[in-house]
Amino acid sequence: MTARPPSPATDLPVDVPRRNGELVFAAPWEGRAFGLAAAYVEASGVGWGAFRDRLIAAIADLPDGTPYYEAWVSALERLIAEAGLAPPGAR
Amino acid sequence: MTTTGEGHDADDARDAHDLDGTRGHHAAPPSAIERRVAAIESLLVEKGLITSDAVDAVVAAYEHDIGPLNGARVVARAWVDDDYRRRLLADGTAAIGELGYGGAEGEHLVVVENTPEVHNLVVCTLCSCYPWPVLGLPPRWYKSFAYRARAVREPRAVMAEFGTTVPDDVEVRVWDSSAEVRYLVLPLRPPGTAGMGEAELAGLVTRDHMIGVVR
Repeated sequence: MTARPPSPATDLPVDVPRRNGELVFAAPWEGRAFGLAAAYVEASGVGWGAFRDRLIAAIADLPDGTPYYEAWVSALERLIAEAGLAPPGAR
Repeated sequence: MTTTGEGHDADDARDAHDLDGTRGHHAAPPSAIERRVAAIESLLVEKGLITSDAVDAVVAAYEHDIGPLNGARVVARAWVDDDYRRRLLADGTAAIGELGYGGAEGEHLVVVENTPEVHNLVVCTLCSCYPWPVLGLPPRWYKSFAYRARAVREPRAVMAEFGTTVPDDVEVRVWDSSAEVRYLVLPLRPPGTAGMGEAELAGLVTRDHMIGVVR
């Protein structure tokens, strides 16, 4: 599973990652989109490679400057539609 | 590399830096994209494929647990343990797994070592491939069109924007993560750190060192 907890390899304080990272998600929907893809890839067994292919295609299709996680959402929509899960009329 | 731990303010400023001139431009208003995300969640939950709790758990793990500190621990171990360093360079996935890190986007991890003669820089030219188990999710600029396009073409100019000057007699190698492989840079151990323990050393290593935009 993706969400493997970190191992206590050293005894560093837990707040250290904030020092050399940025806020992971700029808005709640970005985190939701990421989590949905991770949960779906895991549950469906489709594999990250399949998701990545749709992501590359979505980034190529969308205009430069499109917010990254919007491409992510498009990729997930494509993957779901290809699995026949999207209700009729939904993209 | 700084040995004082300072400089992350500049790092934060750089993260906000408008690398590709697109920051703040949204092709769709947030409410529209929020509705699309909510629709996906409703559909997948309705079909019994996922639960909202599972999504919550993934998001929380990446927000709080899985981040550059994992990679920093790998680097620090390699600095203090020469046998580990050799194993790390020979089989990154296995050696990183020794510290308990692995999973999605970490199936084939390759560690490239900076030396006095060589500097390594990592990019994904096609999308945003990144070694999640050791670095978490990529920063905004890593995913930008500008970085993806320029890192290969003019790596020294890109690094200069991060305040990094690599001497002319040092070879710059750029690694494109777009295949199945995910790269992690093993930075040079800074001078003056001989007396430091592993945990203290890990505190010196930043995400940018392990991507290679900082030497």
